[in-house]
Amino acid sequence: MSKYAIFLGCTTPTRVPQYELSARWIFKRFGIDLIDIEDFVCCGANQINISMETGLLLAAMNLALAEVQDLDIVTLCPWCFTALAAGVEELRKQEVRGRVNKQLSTIGLEYNGRTRVKHISRVLYEDIGLDRIKEGARRDLSKIQVAPHYGCRYLKPQWASEGFDEPNDPKTLHQLISAIGATAIDYETLNLCCGGKVFPVSEDLAHSLIAKKLDNLQDKEVDCMVLLCQTCYLMYATQQEKVSKKFNKQYNIPVVLYLQLLGLAMGADPVADLGLNLNVPSVDRVLAKIGNDV
Amino acid sequence: MLDEPIRVSELDPSFKAEVISHEAAHDITACFSCGTCTAACPVHDVLPEFDPRKIARMVNLGMRGRVLSSPYIWYCTTCLECEQHCPQKVNFFNVLNALKNMAAKEGYAPTSWVNQTRQVMKTGIVFATEKAWVKKREELSLRPLKDDGKEAAKLIQSTGVDKIEPRAQSR
Repeated sequence: MSKYAIFLGCTTPTRVPQYELSARWIFKRFGIDLIDIEDFVCCGANQINISMETGLLLAAMNLALAEVQDLDIVTLCPWCFTALAAGVEELRKQEVRGRVNKQLSTIGLEYNGRTRVKHISRVLYEDIGLDRIKEGARRDLSKIQVAPHYGCRYLKPQWASEGFDEPNDPKTLHQLISAIGATAIDYETLNLCCGGKVFPVSEDLAHSLIAKKLDNLQDKEVDCMVLLCQTCYLMYATQQEKVSKKFNKQYNIPVVLYLQLLGLAMGADPVADLGLNLNVPSVDRVLAKIGNDV
Repeated sequence: MLDEPIRVSELDPSFKAEVISHEAAHDITACFSCGTCTAACPVHDVLPEFDPRKIARMVNLGMRGRVLSSPYIWYCTTCLECEQHCPQKVNFFNVLNALKNMAAKEGYAPTSWVNQTRQVMKTGIVFATEKAWVKKREELSLRPLKDDGKEAAKLIQSTGVDKIEPRAQSR
């Protein structure tokens, strides 16, 4: 049985707990142990804006905490994934590792390059695999047509996920969706960024980026967007009403985390297991179309 | 700002050296200003004044003051489309990080990023502990978060970044 240290990050546990809830349900069903490390802190991704060294130190602290328990890390957040992966890469250099470990020793830690990191997309696609996902699907999702949204760190930088997918022409999320019987469409703004990382500096800028994708999707026959990032979720879902008002539009596009859709296919309880009642805009339309027959 | 004529007297040849002293930003010297980054940039698409090619050129010319004081260096959404398409493999994300780190030291950091780092020193994460989400986690039977940033704070203080003050609000 495989196991990972689960890295929750900052946003998922506080703003999008349904992502964590559904991840725990899915991993249990596929027999993957998730170990919680209480001392994990912010991955450092946002600290690099004002201090790359600080970002690296925080990444190293988290890597060291997992290494103490001989664990690799799975992240829910694609950003945490690349911040920690950049740490792994940077800490291969002896002089960097020496400098960083000197600081880590002040909190009783040391990183020796053993712990590695994966985003949950790779664990789904590579560890569990499309075949087992297909076998696990019991509810009929064939009436559901969705717009996949990969987001930036799922795909880039490509070295971080060892060539897992092709950033210019991504396929894996489409395949994960098809594996459970739903249809994943292609659309013009597929690779457009959600603006989540500029949102803290300029909401206006982020809102313009969000609107571009929602405009595109409004013209398509889709039941919902499907994604694997809590920040993309916050942008397209939580900000949707605000963006609608700002640009005088009537967006009403439900946003579902892939794990929630997978859970639905596997027969999970939409509320107790997947927290779908927490999603905004409401996903009732999607649930009604799927029905409750398991 | 970024659209005024270049004045030779303003150019600082040591600026580029300082940028590339951040090892991760070294590739900027390979930029030949083709503009592929700008063509690929989603932010440029909605805010044409944000222009990665221009920023790269200004760095290579040594336009220290105008680059570091520009609000535009903070407007990158870090999606990496520029790097994905750059024929010279310039790691523009880290070039901007180097610029932002330098600008932060000179007092130009946006309040949001400064506050997030200060918050990590308190709770270990970029958010404050709020009753609403603590309760929601309880309801969902998710384990409580540690709510402790003491050890992270030691690391943060070691770089001096905790001393950085945000840019004064001017507009």
